[in-house]
Parts: sequence; C-alpha cells; structure tokens
Amino acid sequence: MSVSSELQCCRLKGRWADWITSGLSTMRIRPWLDRESVFSWLMLAPPLLFLAAFVGYPFCYGIVLSLQDRPVAQPGVFVGLKNFATDLKDPVFWRVASNTFIYTGIATLLKALGGLGLALAMNQQFRMKNLVRAVLLLPFIVPTVLSTVAWMWILDPAFSVFNWFLIRLGVPKPGPSWLGNPILAMTSIIVINTWRGLPFYGITLLAGLQTISPELYEVATVDGASGFQRFRYVILPLLQPILLIVTLFSVIFTFADFQLVYVLTHGGPQNATHLFATYAFDLAMGAGQLGLGASVALSMLPALALLIVALTRYMQRQ
Amino acid sequence: MVDGRGRIARLLRMWVPLGFFLVLALFPFYWMAVTSLKPNAELYNTRMMPLLVYHPTLKHYVDLLTETRFLAWTWNTMLVAIASTAISLVFGGMLAYPLARLRFPGAGLIAMGVAAVYLVPQPLLFIPLADLINRLRLGNTLTAVILTYPTMLVPFCAWLLMGYFKTVPPELEEAARIDGASHLQTMWRIFLPLCAPGFISAGIFAFTLAQNEFLYALIFLTKTSVRTVPIGVIAELIRGDVFYWGQLMAAALLGSIPVALIYSFFVEHYVAGLTSGSVKG
Amino acid sequence: MAGPAPLHKRSRRGFLKLAALGTVGAIIGPRQAPAAPKSLTLLHESSFIKTFDEYFQKTLVPTYEKETGIKVNYELTSVGSLPTRMSTITETGSGADITMTFLLLPFLFDEKLLDVSDIAEEAGKKQGGWYDAAREAAIVNDRWKALPFSNIGQLMNWRTDWFAEVGVTKFPDTWEELYEVGKKLKAKGHPFGFELGHGFGDNHGWLYPLLWSYGGHEVEPDGKTVVIDSDETARAVDFARKFFRDTMLDDVLGWTDVSNNKAWYAEQISCTNNAESILWLGKRDFPAIAKVTDQAQNPMGPKGRFHIMSAISHAIFSFTPAKEEARAFLRWLTDEKQLSGWYASADTYYQPLLHSYDNAPMWQVEPRNIPYRDALASAHLLGWPAPPSRQLAESVAKYVVVDMFAKACAGAATKDVIANAEVQLKQIYRQA
Repeated sequence: MSVSSELQCCRLKGRWADWITSGLSTMRIRPWLDRESVFSWLMLAPPLLFLAAFVGYPFCYGIVLSLQDRPVAQPGVFVGLKNFATDLKDPVFWRVASNTFIYTGIATLLKALGGLGLALAMNQQFRMKNLVRAVLLLPFIVPTVLSTVAWMWILDPAFSVFNWFLIRLGVPKPGPSWLGNPILAMTSIIVINTWRGLPFYGITLLAGLQTISPELYEVATVDGASGFQRFRYVILPLLQPILLIVTLFSVIFTFADFQLVYVLTHGGPQNATHLFATYAFDLAMGAGQLGLGASVALSMLPALALLIVALTRYMQRQ
Repeated sequence: MVDGRGRIARLLRMWVPLGFFLVLALFPFYWMAVTSLKPNAELYNTRMMPLLVYHPTLKHYVDLLTETRFLAWTWNTMLVAIASTAISLVFGGMLAYPLARLRFPGAGLIAMGVAAVYLVPQPLLFIPLADLINRLRLGNTLTAVILTYPTMLVPFCAWLLMGYFKTVPPELEEAARIDGASHLQTMWRIFLPLCAPGFISAGIFAFTLAQNEFLYALIFLTKTSVRTVPIGVIAELIRGDVFYWGQLMAAALLGSIPVALIYSFFVEHYVAGLTSGSVKG
Repeated sequence: MAGPAPLHKRSRRGFLKLAALGTVGAIIGPRQAPAAPKSLTLLHESSFIKTFDEYFQKTLVPTYEKETGIKVNYELTSVGSLPTRMSTITETGSGADITMTFLLLPFLFDEKLLDVSDIAEEAGKKQGGWYDAAREAAIVNDRWKALPFSNIGQLMNWRTDWFAEVGVTKFPDTWEELYEVGKKLKAKGHPFGFELGHGFGDNHGWLYPLLWSYGGHEVEPDGKTVVIDSDETARAVDFARKFFRDTMLDDVLGWTDVSNNKAWYAEQISCTNNAESILWLGKRDFPAIAKVTDQAQNPMGPKGRFHIMSAISHAIFSFTPAKEEARAFLRWLTDEKQLSGWYASADTYYQPLLHSYDNAPMWQVEPRNIPYRDALASAHLLGWPAPPSRQLAESVAKYVVVDMFAKACAGAATKDVIANAEVQLKQIYRQA
C-alpha cells in the first residue's frame, strides 16, 4: 500500500489528527502552524511547562532555600553563601563528599565491567534465553528497600552465609563485621549497588552487541585477529555510544542514591557510608535545618556536572 | 556439529560465566525465599545452616496478606507506576520528536535543558515539591506521586526516545509530507506507530523506576491506605526497632515476582528497542 | 496475560486527565476551607503496640463524640516519619490540629505551637505534679508548648540465666562492675551488645548516660559554651573503649536500633540498652527467652546515675482553625479518667510523667518494667544540661557524641576524638 493511499484511507476514517488538520486548513492558519518551528514549539510546550512547574520552580526555590537560614516552622532569613561556608568547614561534609565519589566511581566501574562480561556471556545462542534474561534482571526490578532489608540479614555476621563458610575455613568467629567496620561497610554498599545495577548494564550492552553485524566478526577473523583483538578493535568501539549513555544514567543515579544507605546503615559506622542524599535528608528532616539541607543537596550539582563532562570528553576522545 | 572439545569450550565460554552471574543475581532471592518460609524459631537460630529450611511455613505470607494492607499497597504501586509511565512517555515523546526530527530555533538549548533537568537531584527537590504538592491540596493522594514521578522519568524517556527516533529512516515521513500531510498527521500516523519498540523499552524502564521510588513516596504518602509497596512495607513491618523479618522477605518476593513476569513478556521488545535506538547514538 | 490499553489510547486519556486537573487546580487555587469544627485531627506515630492505637480509636474517640459531638480523626503516620510529616504540615499550614511530638520537636516547632501552660499547670496540680523531666521536654521559653504524655525509657536488658552462671543475681550497680561481668561473659561466649552505630534510641540510650555519669557535658547550661573537652569526658571515652573491646561483639559499631533486638532473639548477647520492646515482643514470640530476660536501670558512674528521656507529648498547631476545640479536647484527654485507661492499654510501654501514676495498678502487671518508672527521676533530654536549641538538634542529627565514642572504640586516640567533637560542636555553636 503506497503512502498516499494509506493517508487517503486514514482520512476517510476521520481520525483526530486529520480532523484537527482539516479544521486548521479551513481556518487558514494551517500553513503557519505547519511551519516546523511553530509545530515544534507547540509540541514542546506541554512537557516543558510541566518540567518548568515541577522541576524548574522547585529547583529555584531550592536555591533560594540554600541561601537562607531556614529552620523548619520559622521564616527564612537571607544569609547569602553562609550555608555553603558552613558545609566547607564541616568535616562530615568532606567525608560525605569523598564517600559519594568513591562509592559512585567504584560501583560504576564494577557494573560496567561486570555488565560487559555478562553481555558477552549472554550473546550466544541457548535455550531459555528469554527466561534467563528476565531472571537476571530481578535484582534491578525488586524494590531497592526490600532487597536491602534482605542484604541486612545476609550481612549480619551471626546469620551470614559468607561468615558461616569463612568460619569453617578457619576464620576466627564471628567472622568479618560487614557493616561495623568502616571499610567493609563501604565495600558492602558498593557490592549491593553493583548487584542491583549490573543487570541493567548487562542487558543494555547485550542489546548493543546484538547489533554488531556478524560480517564484521567474520572479516576480523579472516584477517587473523585473535578473540581478544576482535574484542578490543571491533566490539569495544562499536559499543562505545551505548556504553556512554548507560554510564551517564547510572552515574547520576548512583551519585544521588538514598534508599540503600538510609535503610542499611543510615550513614554509619561513624559516617563511613554517609552520602550527599542521606546527609541532606538528616539535616533537613532530622535537625530541621531546611536551608543547610538544601545547600548540601545543591553541592551535588557541580560534582555531577564535572563527572558528566569528564566522562563525555573521555569517551569522545576514544 | 559440536564435538567433545567444542562442548568444553562452550561450557567455559558460556555456561560457567552465565552460571556465575545467575548465582550472583539470584542468591539474595533464594535467601529471601528461604527466610520467608522459616518459622521464627528457625529464623533466629544461628547454629543451623542458613540456606536450608527444615520446617517450612506459610505463616509469614498469611500474616502479610491478612494483617497488613499489602494488597492495597501493591494496587497503589501498580496504578502509580502505570500512570506516571504513561505521562512520561507522552511527554517524553513530545520532547523527543521535534528534537530528533525537526529543525527549529532553540533546539540545542532545549536539548541541553532537558539533560540539565536530569541532573537536578531528588534530595534537593523534595522540600520545595512538598510545599507545592500541599498547596495544590494533593498531600496524601496518589496524584501527588503520579505528578512528581515524571520529573525524573520524562528526561530519561526523552533521551532514550530521541536516540531511537534518530534511527528511523526518514523516507516514509518525507513521502507523507510530499503527499500533503501536516506535521501532526505525519507524526501521529506514520512515525509513532513505527516506534512502538522504542516506547516499550522506555516504558519498561520508566515503570521499573516508578515502582521502585522511595523518597517522594516517603514524603508525600503518610497515610497507610495510599502508600506504595516500598514505603508501606518499611513503615508497617518495621516498627521502631522491631522488624518482622519473615513478613518483610515475603513482601520482597511477592513484590518482585509479578513485575518479573511482566518483564519476561516484554524483554524481547525491550532489547529490540534499545538495539535500534541508543546504539546508533 | 491481557495487556494494558493500547499505548496511544492510554496516553491520550492520561494527557486529558492531566490537563483537566491543571485547569481545575488553577481555577480553585489554594483557598482556605471555612472553619466548621465538627472534627479534629490528631496526628500520631503508629505505636508498635497495636492495642494502644486501638484503645484510642475504639474507646476514646466514640466517648468524646458522645460527650461533645466532635469527631476526632486519629491519623497514624509510620514510625520515623513524624518529623517529616510535621514539617510538611507546618510549612503548608494545614493537615492536622493536634500532633504528637517527641524529643526536640516541641522546641524546633515552637513558633507554630500554641501555649498550653494553663492545661499543663492544671494537670500537674490535679495529678500529683510533673516529673522534672517533663518540664525539660515541653517547656520552651518558660511556656509549656506541649503536654507531656509519657516517656519511652531506654534501660538495661540482661539475661538472668547467663549472669547467674558467673555468679551475678542482681544487676551490677556501677559501670565498672558491669564491665567485669561483661569480661567474664564474653569469655564464656555470651558477649554484650550495645549499639554504636547510626541508629537513634539504643545508641543515645547508653552513651549520653555514660557521658553524664562520668561528669562530662557537651555544652554548658548557658547554651553557648562548648565544654566537651574535659577530663571527665576523657574518662568516659576511655571506659567506653575498654567496655567495647573486652565485652562486646565487633559488629556493634555498625548497629542500628533493630540490631540488638535481632541479636537478643538469636541469643547472641547477654546485655544491651533498649526500650521495653525486647521483653514485649519476646513474651509474644520467644517465651523461653523472655523468661530469662530482665530489665534494670543504667549503672552508676562516679558522678551519678542517668537515663535519657524520650518524652512524647501532644501539641496544638497555632494555625488550626479550631483552637478552642483543640484545647478542650486536650484538657479532656489529660484527665485521669482518659489517661489511665490509655496508659494501661500499652502495658507501661509509655511511662506517665505525672506522679499520681507512680503506684498505678498497671505497674504490677509486669513488675520487670518497674525500673522504667524509677528511671524517670534521673532522666534528661539529649544534650543536657544545655537547653534544647537548634544547635543541639544539629549536633544530634550529625551524631557528634555517638561518633566520638564510636571512633574511640574503633581504635582512635581519646585526645583525637574529643578534639574532633569539639571542633564540630564549636562550628555548630558558631564559635569557631
């Protein structure tokens, strides 16, 4: 069926897009509306207005809050950059900052590498592929708070299967304190975050792998390239765009992570797992300092922007 | 034909790594299942092998379904996830089509703006948003979260859809335009139906994020009857320092299995959508 | 499985719904509903003792409605979400008329709460007088901004059977004595478990009393001078370090409030600091363990015996359209007839702060809870002797005192952790 006859057919059925179009023709404003710029802006208007109302306005309000001394239930007093100065002098703030960067950096690296491995393993034919793919996505699907509660149990030395095995291998009872030792606690949250996010990387990279046409593989093999060389010079460059997008999303999410830490350790032990989001929440809701909380939350922005720019530049250089 | 050596190679290249990932991914779920079936006495027993159940019981599941409003929360969560996904797809599509397909002044600026919106962190927005929601008298209603979830979903959907849209060959649309179709008709009739896989893949991801959301639901939904699963479970099954572990694990399983089932139906489309979309950038 | 409505149909519907909502919202705008005080809303955090909430809903509400015709809505919010809910209500000026408050909330929300001194003084006179702790909880700038309802004590829980194995039948009186018992018990495989992580009740429950009982203070009563750097503090920190090292599980450094409950039922620990929840749930689900669980006041230090106060009160929002009705309701609620029944429904989990209840029959129902009553006389608000202030709230939210002890237990030098805490406190109190 040619395009024009298809259109004819639709016109006859009187659908709303056609109705509007013909109406506009009658009103003689159609030519104007049909200009690319006008149409585009009409299309963009509703979502942009929505975002302006629900993101733009609160964002500006948030900035105003961060410039105020604003205890809850009391009017705000403008204090300029005093909240930020307080943050810069606060040792906990710096700990929180370093925690967040370390957490995001290591988890993202592990997820990318693990996801790549998973994708390569999955990029082969076998039965029940769909089932396996769906099952592998489970860590990503289950609500984070619930899986975190499960991990609480898994990481409790008294109940942990890891400790059970380690003790039988000779490690002194009761075994490592996964949430009590600051370094192990950071390791634990990184592991849980990786566990949760790896499937997303894996499935997405798998999709990327599947678009690389088999001819490219064949050509490379014929040329004498080894498995590893094929990977490095054929697969990796072609995966780069998708790797970049997935990593950008993942970094933003991980950097602003709240649930995992809130439920598992609430920032402990001794602030070893406190992140920007949990610290901002404690200050705003716990201490009732809305301005200070907003300033900590806002400090995430420059860091995030830097990360994104660095990542984009790096990948574009490759 | 696969000979002996080929089989071993296949084992190493595929089954071992796959097995490794499967164990990694599923181990906590096995733990959840086992814990939800253990009676309290076994649950707290540190001497027993933690991975086995000796006297399984369905008590925790029964308690969960009868003593808490778990079903109501599940209903709320699905409703909210579907509604906010729908809104995000519509808005995402409306943003993506002009940016991917049409030329107009300010395009670059808008694209950057949408990306910038994505950078605004939730912890910053929740205080002003709480004020806004309450001024609209939407506190403790599902509408509050249905309206606020898209703030994090729309930019993502727009980005993903843009990437997808760019890969669709423009010939059909050009033909339609030559035939005299308006932009609206072209978009609605010709272009969008071709993009179903892209929408599905964006929709699935948005749905997952929506049903997983915690912070906004924590702030806006404080009445039991309107809660979503993550909040309801934490609030009702964790009272002060008393955790109802068995029920918590039962809730975790019951909360994830339906969504996983939905996924197994859609995952083919999900992969197809991403395949044609983001790869080409 | 039948799929949802086709994508384009659903999205169109959703879009139209949204547009309608927006228009309606814009037209109506934030108008105030005319005041028609036929109902009051009381906001409460859901109690983990269900019968307590049920008593209010099933007994108190209908009684009040019969007497006055006013229906009281008992709005329950989840444990831990009360500060958030109060913030939202205060910021927007609506949502509840009366609210439960605890800890430093009467102070933080002071400006939006009504003065209820008259009701409080009256109740004090009629019911034997208030405990001093009650005044600390609810008086801001010499005015009662909330009516204290009860305390939720944090006391020592101990395993009578294991203590008996090392020859101890009465709970040790001093920290040093407790330390000696702990060493013996840890050697026998029954260590102690006191929270040192970022929980809220079970860490403050023993760390502040420990600090106070050695004579250490964060800030002077003038609310400005930071005095944490003192010999007394150093002694308390040194004690905590050896207490942790020689009697406890390592894992306590990362514990939150739920961890010691879990450890208790798993029979991992022989002593901890907790509210009544361990015994209460134990009696229900782990009767064998509950039989050998007992409770006692905190041990004494060189400068006395102390407990922290976790007082719950009721306060009226100043922007409520039903001021008189709210005051009348609170007056009615605070009457002995209503209160005694309500307290009894929760088995002394809520310890009354009026002396007239000191010998109430409910204490005889579970005599092991009596130490919670006795502890009231030595209970103080977090941060005592400094008065409640936003700086105090900030230092609590930043876990200054908890982390000071925790870092020392994890191995840092006493000098360093105290200096660290001092820097933080000075910065919070803006003296740096």
